Amino acid sequence: MKHVPHRPFTLAAAALTAAALGLTGCSSEGSGGGGGGEDDGTFTLGFAVGGQPDADWQDLQGDVAQALAEQRGWDFVELSNDNSEATATTNADLFIQEGVDLVMMFNGQPSANPVIAKKYEDAGIPVITFDIAQEGWYFVGVDNAAAGTAGGTALGEVAKAEWDCEVDLVISAEGTSAGQINEWRTGNAREAVAEVCPDIPEDAYVSYEADGNLTTSLQNAPGVFAANPDAENILVVGINDQAVVGALQAATQLGRDDNIMGWGQDGGLITGDNVDPNLAGSVMYFLEGYPAFAFEIADAIAAGDVPEVKDTGDDAAVSVKPCPVSQEEAAEVPSIDERVAALADAEQGTTAYDLFCPAAAG
Amino acid sequence: MTVDIDAGRVPLTRRLLANLNGPVGSIALTLAVTLIIGAVWVGPRYFSASNIEIVGTSIAIPLIVGVLASFALLAGVVDLSIGSMVGFGAVAFNQLVGAGMDPWQAAGLTLLTGVAVGAVNAYVIVGLGAEPLAVTLGMLTLLRGLCQAIVIEAPPTTLVEPLYDLTQGSIGSFPTLLLIAIGLTLVAAGFVGKTRMGRAIRAVGGDARAAGRVGIPVARVRVIALIVSAVGAALGGILYVGQLASASNILGTGLEFQIYAALMIGGYSITRGGVGNPIGALLGLLVVGAITNILNVQFIDPDYLDIIVALILLGAVLLDRIRGGDSFE
Repeated sequence: MKHVPHRPFTLAAAALTAAALGLTGCSSEGSGGGGGGEDDGTFTLGFAVGGQPDADWQDLQGDVAQALAEQRGWDFVELSNDNSEATATTNADLFIQEGVDLVMMFNGQPSANPVIAKKYEDAGIPVITFDIAQEGWYFVGVDNAAAGTAGGTALGEVAKAEWDCEVDLVISAEGTSAGQINEWRTGNAREAVAEVCPDIPEDAYVSYEADGNLTTSLQNAPGVFAANPDAENILVVGINDQAVVGALQAATQLGRDDNIMGWGQDGGLITGDNVDPNLAGSVMYFLEGYPAFAFEIADAIAAGDVPEVKDTGDDAAVSVKPCPVSQEEAAEVPSIDERVAALADAEQGTTAYDLFCPAAAG
Repeated sequence: MTVDIDAGRVPLTRRLLANLNGPVGSIALTLAVTLIIGAVWVGPRYFSASNIEIVGTSIAIPLIVGVLASFALLAGVVDLSIGSMVGFGAVAFNQLVGAGMDPWQAAGLTLLTGVAVGAVNAYVIVGLGAEPLAVTLGMLTLLRGLCQAIVIEAPPTTLVEPLYDLTQGSIGSFPTLLLIAIGLTLVAAGFVGKTRMGRAIRAVGGDARAAGRVGIPVARVRVIALIVSAVGAALGGILYVGQLASASNILGTGLEFQIYAALMIGGYSITRGGVGNPIGALLGLLVVGAITNILNVQFIDPDYLDIIVALILLGAVLLDRIRGGDSFE
């Protein structure tokens, strides 16, 4: 009796041969970068959403962009970067294959951006990037330096009013991989707090890595509280709302939330039904509305009037104005879904800041 | 399931049917069905050269990592730390090159790191008799933590041209790296199926005591398998840096689940050693890559991918149970 195992080679060879035959028969469409898509002359916008967890605004950016593209009669295709640099790189290949005329994206994992930029440059496709600058791409983003200062100033003012600037600890929930953006938002916020409350001692300012997300922030913040057991009046600034709320939630879990106040950045968690009670406010960027700013550039490109590339935060193609709001003011701002619907219906050129920022209204 | 027949005297059709009854047969059929769906739904551009490049480039590194990790599975010791090791290898290589080290030296050091990680896993699992799942889960967490600790600001950009060309280049319409990965898969399949050492690995995974009784050095086989698994992951990290020219501190997160899902679809088991074939790994990853690509080129929400992969995985497990086991039991 002889035991003969199955022959996987046979089947694999058969499957691969079938695939190869398929390729031989069907690959006459052409190859290379932009060869895959069928171009009927309609302007096609490729949009890559960030795909980060706990960030609904990223998907909603896609919804706004789709509505604005449809207003203009453009074709629209969307992918998710899935919070992964590898996926973002693959998405570039897919957009190039599709033959899009312009790409807009938010890429929260920008480490592969130089490679992605090389691909788009080779394919001759312009790119508009949100909030994270890359050489050669149109930068659309908030004025991060101004946003940091605005948030810190607002929080300092609240601390002055509530505690007469008697602050024991100023926690900075960082996202250091964002580099300069992190420094602008958190560093400027700390400086602004110090300007309003100059008597806070230097050693009261502590920072920790929150990685710009709630999960990591919640994991790492307890160490800061443990290292400062006597701190009572506590302020929290951070790279974004998630990082700040992570610290606030950690304080709640540890029973250290009697006297703690945070002021976020981006406004992602300052509206809705479940706003953390200790989040005193946030600097709203109306992230979901970024495409409305970006279409200023897109319209020019579609019209054949390609604008000069401005690719840094210091010299942005379009600068989004930060909108600091307290929790009370934020309660009056329409929900994110309502804002998306309003933006989709608004006249061309209207931005979320125009529609929803209390400062603009008042 | 073992076929008690003499292949030399059995007609071709019967042999093919016997093949289809195995896990590799099932996944080959699944791949064929996927390709047909792609051809019908997407059309000819599904098989365009650029699309093949996209699919091939995206699965090549997971395939290399998966094939080398499959040696540990075959030897009966699952290594959950491969995703984090990919990330750690990438971070280490990227930081070293970013600091000015020669890329070859950096690659050598990174691979040595893989040897060290594999050796630690092996010492605790084989030497101290600890549970592989627990140990490699601990290593997963440790390596991920190290990535977070090392990359505390924007990681350096390290475009190593030869590595970029290797990982992003193509020969004809086939990505170079995919051809290398397929070559590695075939060598691994030959090694597992045709060599004494390969059979020893399967025997150790299938029944360690029986293998020991017939003189197979069980501990040594498992140590080597775990080191190969970790080195493969470190190699994957280097290749990712070649592809992406950088490495963030989350690179490789969850990759172990993607790879093991594909391996299980391809006929491996993470709880039983001795079963599976690298060809199954190739086909499993091709199925996942082909389905992902259909969703991508049709611009369908990629969230559906997890559901589809899960259904295929459950289907593969169910089929395996209906068959009553596997070829090597």
